[in-house]
Amino acid sequence: MGLEKFDPSLATHDLVQDLKWSPALRDEFAVNEAGVLDRYPLRQDERYAIETRDFRTLYDIGLHPYLGGQLARLIFGNEAGKGATVAVNKLVESLQGKGPVR
Amino acid sequence: MAEIRFAAGAPHAPGLIGLMQTAPGPIKDVVAHTYRSLGAAIASSEIDVLIIFANDHLANSRIRAYPDFLIGMAAEHSGPYEWFKPWIGCRDYTVKGAPDVAAALFNGMTRRGIRMFAQNENLKFDDNISVPVLLTDIEGSGVPIVPVLQNCTVPPIPDQHRCYAVGQALGDFIRNDLPADMRVGLLGSGGLSHEPGGSRYYFIDEDFDRWFLDLVASGDHDRLLRELTLEKMEAAGSSGTAELLAWVVVLGAIGPRPGKSFGYAAHREFKCGVGAVQWDMDANQPKLCAAAE
Repeated sequence: MGLEKFDPSLATHDLVQDLKWSPALRDEFAVNEAGVLDRYPLRQDERYAIETRDFRTLYDIGLHPYLGGQLARLIFGNEAGKGATVAVNKLVESLQGKGPVR
Repeated sequence: MAEIRFAAGAPHAPGLIGLMQTAPGPIKDVVAHTYRSLGAAIASSEIDVLIIFANDHLANSRIRAYPDFLIGMAAEHSGPYEWFKPWIGCRDYTVKGAPDVAAALFNGMTRRGIRMFAQNENLKFDDNISVPVLLTDIEGSGVPIVPVLQNCTVPPIPDQHRCYAVGQALGDFIRNDLPADMRVGLLGSGGLSHEPGGSRYYFIDEDFDRWFLDLVASGDHDRLLRELTLEKMEAAGSSGTAELLAWVVVLGAIGPRPGKSFGYAAHREFKCGVGAVQWDMDANQPKLCAAAE
């Protein structure tokens, strides 16, 4: 699973960029995820995949894997050896066949 | 004529700082030896500026407006960008910039037909610049840097031929545009095999890594350009291994010459193969001088 399905038009790319660039948006995402998602022109299947932590589907519809890894850290944790390891394992679990890992 | 007095390629995996405690002793020894050797070489080369090419990792620009090369022109470069700090597990740092060299690089590459972009503001640095700066103690050495963040992962990716041509233009710029007494260092930051964000996140392709290190140390650039394809790098780790293109830029600038490796380490928690090469800037000098004339 590489870059062959990459679709740069997906709004999730902008969501991930904004979250990593803005501590305030990250705080809001943590307490009101739906409110943050409402501001992005996400496709229905794209939004549902985010809500269910279905990275496999997000990659299948075109999310860039590098930003997929960052989305996993934004959701599951970003600290070396702690949350970031949880994020990697959840991401791999989803990509290797499980799909939603909520 | 300004001259290149230091040239190397080295990985920047974040685990080399934040997950070092998970590595067994022999792995730690390779990492320590590698970066201490590079740091000592940077210090002893008495360079006036170090130009670092590294994967941007989608840290600075929107994915639909993505530059292939982005020059940092700030007078000081601070990092890491706040969101990356806990992930790397590193401290804050500030290194001197070289705005005059950065501006000359931007103009020089433009005149040579190479489209680069440049920003006066502090760029957002993740592991790309932070790891080599901290592990080689560039901050302590006082050497100013010019960071050039490149596109190694957003299609269409400038391939090995394009990056080598950019490097050739870079070498011409250094020799002909910079002050005659200036001593320049070049570092390609990135690799070895890894697949960040992929289904093979923990995959390290040891065969690829050892092949690559031997090849770039051999100085056989014809073979390098023939065999180091995007397809081969993607097979060795999608969205990650292709950042070895930063090494290719450096190789284009210095031309064919041998290098020395500092060993190789593969540790699962690093999620990346580790090995560096420093090229011999005193080798092949007569041939290079003749070519420059």
